[in-house]
Amino acid sequence: MIRFLTIMSSRWTRLVLVMLIVLSLQTTLFAELRPFGVAAQVVLLFVIVSGSINGVAIGSITGLIAGLMYDFILPTPVGLASLAMGLAGATAGLLLYFFHEPTWWMRLITVAIVSILGEIYFPLAQAIVGFDGWLQPRIFKVAIVVAACNLILAPLAIVVCRWTLAERKLSI
Amino acid sequence: MAVAQSTRRRAIILLVLTSIILITLDLQNSSATSGLRSVFGVIFRPVESTTRVVTRPISNAWFGIFNYNDVLDENERLREKVAQQEGATVAAAASVRLAQELLALNGLPTLAGINAVTAQVIGDSPTNFSQTIEINQGSESGIRVGMPVLNAAGLVGKITKVYGDRSVVMLITDPDFALSIKVVNSPRQTTTTTIAKSNAAVPSPVVPIEPDASLEGDASTTTTTTTTTTTIAGFTPSVTTLPATPSGVSSITVPLASDLAIRETGVIEGRGPSRQPTVRFISNAVRFGDIQAGVPIVTAGGSRSLSPPDILVGTVSRVVERLGSAGPVLEIEPVADLTNLSFLRVLLYQPITEKATP
Repeated sequence: MIRFLTIMSSRWTRLVLVMLIVLSLQTTLFAELRPFGVAAQVVLLFVIVSGSINGVAIGSITGLIAGLMYDFILPTPVGLASLAMGLAGATAGLLLYFFHEPTWWMRLITVAIVSILGEIYFPLAQAIVGFDGWLQPRIFKVAIVVAACNLILAPLAIVVCRWTLAERKLSI
Repeated sequence: MAVAQSTRRRAIILLVLTSIILITLDLQNSSATSGLRSVFGVIFRPVESTTRVVTRPISNAWFGIFNYNDVLDENERLREKVAQQEGATVAAAASVRLAQELLALNGLPTLAGINAVTAQVIGDSPTNFSQTIEINQGSESGIRVGMPVLNAAGLVGKITKVYGDRSVVMLITDPDFALSIKVVNSPRQTTTTTIAKSNAAVPSPVVPIEPDASLEGDASTTTTTTTTTTTIAGFTPSVTTLPATPSGVSSITVPLASDLAIRETGVIEGRGPSRQPTVRFISNAVRFGDIQAGVPIVTAGGSRSLSPPDILVGTVSRVVERLGSAGPVLEIEPVADLTNLSFLRVLLYQPITEKATP
């Protein structure tokens, strides 16, 4: 019983539940509101923020889990978004690895840079498994718009991500 | 700390391996991944529906702020267009009915004989790297993977994933979309030969002869009239037959074989939302002639094609000539407005090769 409660109160269970809501926002609100014809990627934003707050390992795991959930609603092969998001989470953690005490604006710059990279990882992964055709000049416009949207939404994402991935001790 | 790091490392390796295995399984069309998608869908759909209801006011406000003027302009434009097309629609409907009757009379397949399901678009693709939409009809309505999807204008895409009460439609602009099509080319100038015969029992095409070459005292008199008409791309023009001068003489109109609409097959392929789909593998035959912009593209049909014949796909917007014997590449302007889809029709059509044998 205690083991079950420990699992249920762990940050990974919380991550899955929060990701369900983030995914539903992605498939409804952010799939409809398309500034300059581009859909903002809040799932990617969440992964990048988790990497920039908690480091490479947590960023990778968050990316792999969030990506896997995203995969189940995308028409692309299952596992592709997982690898791309895992890589994006790791990249976010790696970029901040070089700073001893990263400030808020360093985090924001990281979010912008990794949003651009993360948005390019996915069509690259698609091309690797044979779904080419998406590597075209439009990708740069998409990456820049996604980065801009993520910059705007980053403060809110940081709050949600901190709450979700905080480690809490179970007290009974 | 070291234990936690080791656990995380193992978790990352496990998740990466899981992803790679799942990609491999999905590329092999494994039923396991379809099952996983369905299970996730069962959990996710209620959350998504609730979020849709909650976020509806936000998206409405967004569209109200950013799209209001565009909608007003579009409304005005559409009113004008509707007024222009009202008359043409009646004539077109009559022509379509006539064509379908003729096809049915000759035992040829028509779209009218294929059952269809009307569906509503309920979602766009959440990612920027797939051109798909979701509709609210699925396998419970008889929809299967591969069935063609149309709107009032023409072909929109094909079904790529089917669930119980919803399906995913891949649009014709998706780079993974491919379908065999026909290019209906018309010659630029039409020349018809009208032959008037007085004593001919069986009419037959006659090689045109010079008007002054008719011989006096012959039993039959042959008159040749050459008419040149301007052709609207893609449409076979009606032929005006001049009555023969002597009264009571029968008049037969024989269009030259080169004047008939010529069809060549090719494959249409999507290239993403910012670029028009292209048609490749068009023959470079002289007989086919030059392809003009505006020539219609229709589905080819056939026992292996996922679509029945003669569904309008689009019109040629640009012809890219290639060197050597390689035929031209055609850029296609789809007739359906893929950015603004609401109600669609799924044709419950499966080619003979796809139908399960009893």
